Amino acid sequence: MRTTRTASTLFTVMVYAVMVFTLAVCLIPLLYMVALSISSPKAIINNEVFLIPKGITFEAYAQIFTYPNFFRAYGNTFFYTFAGTAISLALMIVFAYPLSKPRLKGSRGVMKLVIFSMFFSGGLIPNYLLVSSLGLTNTRLAMLLPFAINQFNLILLINFFKSIPGDLEEAAIIDGLDWIGILLRIILPLSGAALATVGLYTAVFFWNDWFHGLIYLKSSQFPVMLFLRNIVMGTSMVGDAAGAGDKSTIAISIKSAVIVTSTLPIIVLYPFLQRYFVKGVLIGAVKG
Amino acid sequence: MGERMRGIDQKTKAQLYVIRYWQLYVMMALPLLYFLLFKYVPMFGNVLAFRRYRPGMGPFGTEWVGLTYFKRFWSDPAFWRAFRNTLVLSLINLVVNFPIPIIFAILLNEVRIIPFKRMVQTVSYMPRFISTVVVIAILGELLSPSTGIFNILRQQLLDKAPIYFINEEKYFRLIYILIDTWQFTGWTAIIYLAAITAIPPDLYEAATIDGASRFQQIFYVTIPSIMPTIMVMLILNIGRLLSLGFEKVLLLYTPDNSMVSDIIDTLVYRTGLANQNYSYATAIGLFSGIIGIILVSSSNALSRRLTGEGVY
Repeated sequence: MRTTRTASTLFTVMVYAVMVFTLAVCLIPLLYMVALSISSPKAIINNEVFLIPKGITFEAYAQIFTYPNFFRAYGNTFFYTFAGTAISLALMIVFAYPLSKPRLKGSRGVMKLVIFSMFFSGGLIPNYLLVSSLGLTNTRLAMLLPFAINQFNLILLINFFKSIPGDLEEAAIIDGLDWIGILLRIILPLSGAALATVGLYTAVFFWNDWFHGLIYLKSSQFPVMLFLRNIVMGTSMVGDAAGAGDKSTIAISIKSAVIVTSTLPIIVLYPFLQRYFVKGVLIGAVKG
Repeated sequence: MGERMRGIDQKTKAQLYVIRYWQLYVMMALPLLYFLLFKYVPMFGNVLAFRRYRPGMGPFGTEWVGLTYFKRFWSDPAFWRAFRNTLVLSLINLVVNFPIPIIFAILLNEVRIIPFKRMVQTVSYMPRFISTVVVIAILGELLSPSTGIFNILRQQLLDKAPIYFINEEKYFRLIYILIDTWQFTGWTAIIYLAAITAIPPDLYEAATIDGASRFQQIFYVTIPSIMPTIMVMLILNIGRLLSLGFEKVLLLYTPDNSMVSDIIDTLVYRTGLANQNYSYATAIGLFSGIIGIILVSSSNALSRRLTGEGVY
């Protein structure tokens, strides 16, 4: 009896150790960046900074916001995120609503098209050639239009619309509402959680996207993640003033400041939004 | 007479149908057009793999060249290297990162202090929302040869020369897999946690009465109960075997580690977009797309046979 109790205690200790380890591993990299971004360059070069900042200074933040290319990239990202999410949601809502009615003639066929395209896609080159032959290269639309409908999010919305009781719609039809009226006045007000989930997934996608900026855009249109990637890759200097190059320690605190600033909106909103994220993955896990 | 009546009947029925539902079709028109343009046109664009591309002559190429491009990559060592790298990296990733979220979910479920459990869970899936660029940038600082904490510790504690981890061939796979663990463990665990939550509590009560320890309860109640979920997830993962995190690999790619870090997707990117061999790159992409769809449909068929239910 005693041995089982010791074993049980040991097990509990191990469980909590694993959890504390997980917390540390998830949080330390971010805290490290924050510490680097507000430490003095001298402390960084002497390897004195890990989690606790030393010689606290906000110089790096003051500096990055004077760089016109960082400022512009940050603004671009806000634009891509807001415009991309708005276009995406609008298109997905008007697509998902008819598709949530399996009795509508043709909707099953369209559904099959949607599902098939999740498993077999055009691939990188055909997509690239399509965007360039539509004349979208070097326009901001190249960041928005090709990604407006995500099949996973679409199915999530369809499943949600299907779960709304049909009686509501029937009552509305008797009251003389047309389909657009039903969608706007009955379905959408009931779909807050689903729209928040899909909207958040979409916004995170646009916020984090850099690759399509790399292949489609010119540098004045770059999003902030691509700006950061170019600093990390050493293909561009942090700012016009940072002549010393990205290997100097001044650049380390500045690079960290860029990392913190470009991740901040997600980190700040995260605690408020995370319950929607979870809801989404669970609805999505139910087969579509 | 009856025939005619039915004819009219059907006609008015069709008219009624249109009158009743036309708005739904109008709603669908724009997104459907969008869908055909941005998803299906590129799909047919794959025909470029069999046709020669000439600049300015449209995205579908000019004349048919049959399997020329396929034969070319078939005898290209760079292709086979990328193919092998893709398979090796995916398989190691599956072996390492498939069980970790399951173990994490089971252990998290053993945490009895609910606020702590909730906090760990919330924090654990945050990495999923952080941009891959940011993840690689942070890693670059942590592993930096001059100021990175790993190299400082190595130097101070072991008195060893710093290593440029990110640039070294032998650390590439380890780094890729650890990043994947960091990004997705908490997120994937959500699905297993949901499955664990759905286990009826009386199973545990019965096990306790029978004198099962917590350890035994995990092995005889929890794991068997979530086995269907584990199987479905395994099949999904096998179906996605060829689709690695392309952006991650592209960001970690350096000429020095290219022997192991060049995967099919990066090869397509380099030959296609950097060197503008559009047809050749499309052929490679199409080949891996076809293998992908074979993997998905066969793992789905396997699932139907084993669990009586397909994933799709």
